[in-house]
Amino acid sequence: MSLVQLRATSHQGDGKVIQSQIATERVMAQPYAATRQAIEAQQVEKRFGSVLAVENASFTIEPGSFISIVGPSGCGKSTLLRMIAGLIPKTTGSLMVHGSEVTGPRGDVGVMFQKPTLLDWKTVIENVLLPTKLKGRVTDADRRRAVELLHLVGLQDFAHAFPRHLSGGMQQRVALARLLNVGTDILLLDEPFGALDEFTREHLNVELSRIVAEVNTTSVFVTHNIAEAIFLADKVFVMTPRPGRLAAIVDVPFEKPRDISLLLTPEFNALVARVRNIFATGKDL
Amino acid sequence: MTMDATFETSSSAPKARAMPSVGSVRIINHLLILTVVLGVWELASRMGWVDSLILPAPTAIAASFWQIAVVDRLMWWHFGVTLYESLVGFVVGSTIGIALAIAAALWEPFRRYSAPYIVGLQVTPRIALAPIVIAWLGFGTLPNIGIAALLCFFPPFLNTLTGLTAVDRDCLEMFRSLQAKKHQVFTQLMLPSAMPVIMAGLKTGMTMALIGAIVGEFISASEGMGVLMQRFTFALNMSGTFAVLLALTFMGLLLFAIMEWLDNRIVFWRHDARMLEITRRLNAKNKA
Repeated sequence: MSLVQLRATSHQGDGKVIQSQIATERVMAQPYAATRQAIEAQQVEKRFGSVLAVENASFTIEPGSFISIVGPSGCGKSTLLRMIAGLIPKTTGSLMVHGSEVTGPRGDVGVMFQKPTLLDWKTVIENVLLPTKLKGRVTDADRRRAVELLHLVGLQDFAHAFPRHLSGGMQQRVALARLLNVGTDILLLDEPFGALDEFTREHLNVELSRIVAEVNTTSVFVTHNIAEAIFLADKVFVMTPRPGRLAAIVDVPFEKPRDISLLLTPEFNALVARVRNIFATGKDL
Repeated sequence: MTMDATFETSSSAPKARAMPSVGSVRIINHLLILTVVLGVWELASRMGWVDSLILPAPTAIAASFWQIAVVDRLMWWHFGVTLYESLVGFVVGSTIGIALAIAAALWEPFRRYSAPYIVGLQVTPRIALAPIVIAWLGFGTLPNIGIAALLCFFPPFLNTLTGLTAVDRDCLEMFRSLQAKKHQVFTQLMLPSAMPVIMAGLKTGMTMALIGAIVGEFISASEGMGVLMQRFTFALNMSGTFAVLLALTFMGLLLFAIMEWLDNRIVFWRHDARMLEITRRLNAKNKA
């Protein structure tokens, strides 16, 4: 509905997006087809001392797509995500976001963590407005937009509550609203619902796919839950541990929006089995 | 007495004969215990089981208190001096403590190279520095303020340092991902996160400042509760000494209450009732 418009109007306010549009056009004028990708990695490696955390990862992520990165603990999936976010530097290789090399945290990607990381001393709406506040003054338009975002995540009645008075699932909804308020078109989600119970998690996954479809963003979702990874994604990046390796990229053919009943179909379970097999053998079928 | 009164009201109004609440039962129990303790104490003193030079009777202490607080009004000047020394010492000591802790938290080399001296000063019994402080600062209230500040310094310092360096790593990453500037990370994340721990340090510091002021007065001073207390002890007026002690307990309670009130205001997000009140107010304001 109005959220796509909302994004557009709010972006006109700070002028940054207009600049970046110009930048994108300039980049697109160059003879590199690859720069149209939202994220592009070529032979990216990460070492922590002598430990190879991520080995030789190469991939591209198209704008508007939903990518899940799935793998067991220690497979380097979070490390890969944090490199894309610019929170940790890569050791070697090339990693581009919107056609420019990642050198540090940047304004055009937003990150959401397993913990809600809300500020206990700020109300829900003030938490959602934090990215705006860090950039400058909070206007009435920003407030209206924050209220819209709270509507989008279903928390409009809790604008003035404090995080401590919300359940874990609600706190992550606030974190999601704050992430959307960053106003980026790339969302990096690091096991955002990993600490929640199964029921809340399933419910929030359905909500998340609805919301990202509505705001039309590129999403990278890290999880260790295979079914969750497949349910949400257009493509699943399967990573195996020691050393962290991108073992396979699996296309998910199911049409969107997806209903929770998809989880029960044989096609879905065949895909789950296929990913499981990659973990067992290290190879795709 | 209290018990009788309660029974009377409940029997005269049989309809309201509900079970007494847990709270009122507890208050009654507290009063009973206090009455028994004071009664035994009084009896022990009156019967000569305990020498009144060692432990004067509660009634004697109360009479002395009345005498020096209400009749002679001797106490209030000294009360004010000690309160003043404690408060100024507290402000000076905790300001220096918090400032140094902020410097240590933000500037790693300072933290590293000052650590041995901090530990050294921490393990030294700081009360032992009191005569030195008096030698430096001379007579009057100034050395007592100095001793209060010296004793008060550590809890706010350590708590501030701990609070600032123990900020949630994920929250720091979140601020980093939002490209927050250094001063924004400090004012919007580190300082508020550390605030509950800092307040706890300030509460302890307040108590320490009072101790410092009185120790200073014991060693060398011409006014203050410590002086008054010594004067009574030398005159073998033990009920007077105990009356001063009682007044010091009140002073401690007063300072404690002030700190609790501040804590409730500043670190409101640790107090559910206060948070709910703010939420209610904001909701009401928004509807209007």
